[in-house]
Amino acid sequence: MDSRPILQAVQICKWYPGVQALDCIDFELEEGEVHALVGQNGAGKSTLVEIIAGSIPFDTGNLIIDGSTCLNWGPAQAIEFGVQTVHQENQLVEEISVAENIFLYNLPRTKYGFVNLSHCIEKADELLGALGIDVSSDRKVSSLTFVEKKLISIAKAFSLKAKILILDEPTASLDEHGKNVLFELIRRYSKMGLSTIYISHHLKEIFEICERVTVFKDGQRVSTSRVADTDIHSIVHEMIGKSSDKLFKRSIKPLDRSAAAETLNFSHFSRDSAVKDVSFSIRAGEIYGLAGLVGSGRTELANLIFGIDRKDSGTVLLNDKDITPKSPYDAVRKGFGFLTEDRKDSGLVLVHSVKDNISLVNLVKKPLGDGFLRLGKEEDETKIVSDSLDVKTPSVHQRVINLSGGNQQKVVLGKWLFAESNIIIFDEPTVGIDVGSKSDIYKLIDRLAAEGKFIIIISSDNPELVSVCDRIGIMRFGELVKELEGTEISEEHILQYSLGVEAVQVQGL
Amino acid sequence: MNMDMTRKKKSSLKLNQSLLLVFVIFGLIIIASIVNPRFIRISNLVNILQQISVLGIIACGVGMLLIAGQIDISVGAQVSLMGILMAMIIERGFKIPPDAANAWMTAWTIPFAILATLVIGAFLGLFTGFIVIHSRASSFIVTLALGSVYKGLALLISKGSSFSLYGKFELLGRGQIFNGLPVSIIFFVLIVALTYVLLKYTRYGRFLYSIGGNRKAAFVSGINTTRVTMRGFISVGLLNALAALILISRVGTALATTADAYSLDALAAIVVGGVSITGGKGTAMSIFLGVLLIGLVGNALVVMNINPYLRGVAIGTIIIISVTFGEMSENKR
Repeated sequence: MDSRPILQAVQICKWYPGVQALDCIDFELEEGEVHALVGQNGAGKSTLVEIIAGSIPFDTGNLIIDGSTCLNWGPAQAIEFGVQTVHQENQLVEEISVAENIFLYNLPRTKYGFVNLSHCIEKADELLGALGIDVSSDRKVSSLTFVEKKLISIAKAFSLKAKILILDEPTASLDEHGKNVLFELIRRYSKMGLSTIYISHHLKEIFEICERVTVFKDGQRVSTSRVADTDIHSIVHEMIGKSSDKLFKRSIKPLDRSAAAETLNFSHFSRDSAVKDVSFSIRAGEIYGLAGLVGSGRTELANLIFGIDRKDSGTVLLNDKDITPKSPYDAVRKGFGFLTEDRKDSGLVLVHSVKDNISLVNLVKKPLGDGFLRLGKEEDETKIVSDSLDVKTPSVHQRVINLSGGNQQKVVLGKWLFAESNIIIFDEPTVGIDVGSKSDIYKLIDRLAAEGKFIIIISSDNPELVSVCDRIGIMRFGELVKELEGTEISEEHILQYSLGVEAVQVQGL
Repeated sequence: MNMDMTRKKKSSLKLNQSLLLVFVIFGLIIIASIVNPRFIRISNLVNILQQISVLGIIACGVGMLLIAGQIDISVGAQVSLMGILMAMIIERGFKIPPDAANAWMTAWTIPFAILATLVIGAFLGLFTGFIVIHSRASSFIVTLALGSVYKGLALLISKGSSFSLYGKFELLGRGQIFNGLPVSIIFFVLIVALTYVLLKYTRYGRFLYSIGGNRKAAFVSGINTTRVTMRGFISVGLLNALAALILISRVGTALATTADAYSLDALAAIVVGGVSITGGKGTAMSIFLGVLLIGLVGNALVVMNINPYLRGVAIGTIIIISVTFGEMSENKR
């Protein structure tokens, strides 16, 4: 097919404070093609599509749309040209009809200036009919199924005369049927000249629907190839890249697994379809990683273990003694600690001091008997904790809102250590933390393991898991699909099992 | 160096905020005294303290609750309802024919009324807390509705009429010890001191701050947020009971609308004092200063012979100024 490029990104760079999000990226989208964009978390996919959609400016380079270089490219210009993004989350207004959603920015009016609802529904039905979407447009969005909402989002993009459609994880939580309907729609419209950028972690789909695939890694483009000329394994390989320099070297490794040590057994943790019968065990002094894609059930599992969410089943045994937490309070009393994914949302009381934050769990755990707090003693003790973690703060009276991300994370850790937690779950411990503090956190984790604590690390940063963990469990769709140990531990294996690429091989692809 | 600077900036701001209130209070006292020297007389100052003691006791409960991030605007109606019930008990008690067989009942009327009021207060707090926690709706809306319920009950029970104590119960509201020190002021000061200790030196106080500062983080840290919040509502109920006893004792009669204004006045005092409306910040001292300012404004207007109907306008203006100031110092950080 003789195609002309509708969009060319030439040597685009984008810096954020301290990070280069895009490093001289070249990207080309042909008219009528479906072009896949893949890469690990933080590779720069979202940054590029946001630049194309005009929602963020780029620093250097050129964006050439339909043959002409774009200056002052913003959301308005992007929409006017016909760039439409369908986000992963539903962005429809739930409480109004499908028809009104579709024409939200250009509602047909009567001559008196009121919304002409019947005309609106008529036009929407016409559009949905043409798209082959079997949903009546007078229904409220809140009454639609997930698939229907997704299809309506796409229909809305079409109604705005899209020329370039950006689909961000469009099949997330779609079943097989929904996926087929979606793909059918994309194929039909590609023939009519619509160009699509398709972002997905599900590599299998890319071979079903896309013509070309571009791989990003660490803000750079690794390759662009026709899907016919490549296969899943080369793509996975390119996503990981060659440079697997270990970020961090453990002090003691490998763990002597024959020695008698306390064992912590997690068995049969389940909740609905989010977490399905997950069992694993850890030995004292071991660092256990939990890998998987975002949404694979890792955080949900941690919430079940810690007693935050109701569970269908699941027990924790420490040397055969049942210590399953019934609530966070119970978890704290039984020696569990949990550094949540979002420290600002659920880890810290930001407006309170370092001292108050560090001593909080300890106050819960150990009633001081006599009832009154001894503020002087509290100050001295929290200062010792803060110093031992090397928290950079002028004093323990500083409010944590004024500290950097890395130091805030140390305060959260200090809170659990001061309460003498023995089983510590880290959820994304180094997200949003600068490189220096990252290595501090790894050292601390290593030190805690050496002291014989039980450590679980949930992370989407695969190099981090590879360098820090003794063993790694991989979750996919709520199940623990694989445990890696010793020499099996590699980014490539983590990615393969997270994406379910092995399953593809079995099916003979 | 950078950190040093932020610290200096922060401490000076903190100084500003509590100092501002003290300056405003002194300024008001000076102006009122110049306009009318009678203002500064000991008798008038004692009078002011006596007038604000009911508001102060209510504000301590509501303030602690607000620190935990919950608003209760049903307090005025709670106090009115308890006032009615208490006055009814006392009226009945003293209407019993004074024959020998029933003499003990008359004698025990007052202690029984006090005990009953405290029990009802604890129950009202428990009930309010239960509804707020289990409805999972905003406490502002829920207590707005409950306030309407309590007020309705007070009207139903009293049938709209007033109940007199016939001067049988004056100690709390009008009694004096040490040659002129009103008993109600002693209760006010004691409650402020108790609030100070609770907030600063107990785990319960620290938990209130944490829940108000970040409810999720408090929950994940193992704090039983439901239980602590519930205790906050029960303390509000108990302090309201004490406030009802003092208020009705001072006024001498109870009406279903006696204490209506206290809901908003208490909230105003607390907010003016510097307790964050979203929780997590504030001290017993800020509650006290806020109450003092609200009380002074009302009295100063009367003493300065300014139309007392301006009180509402003045208090509203003060709230807006202090909240704006608090917001500004918050954003400057």
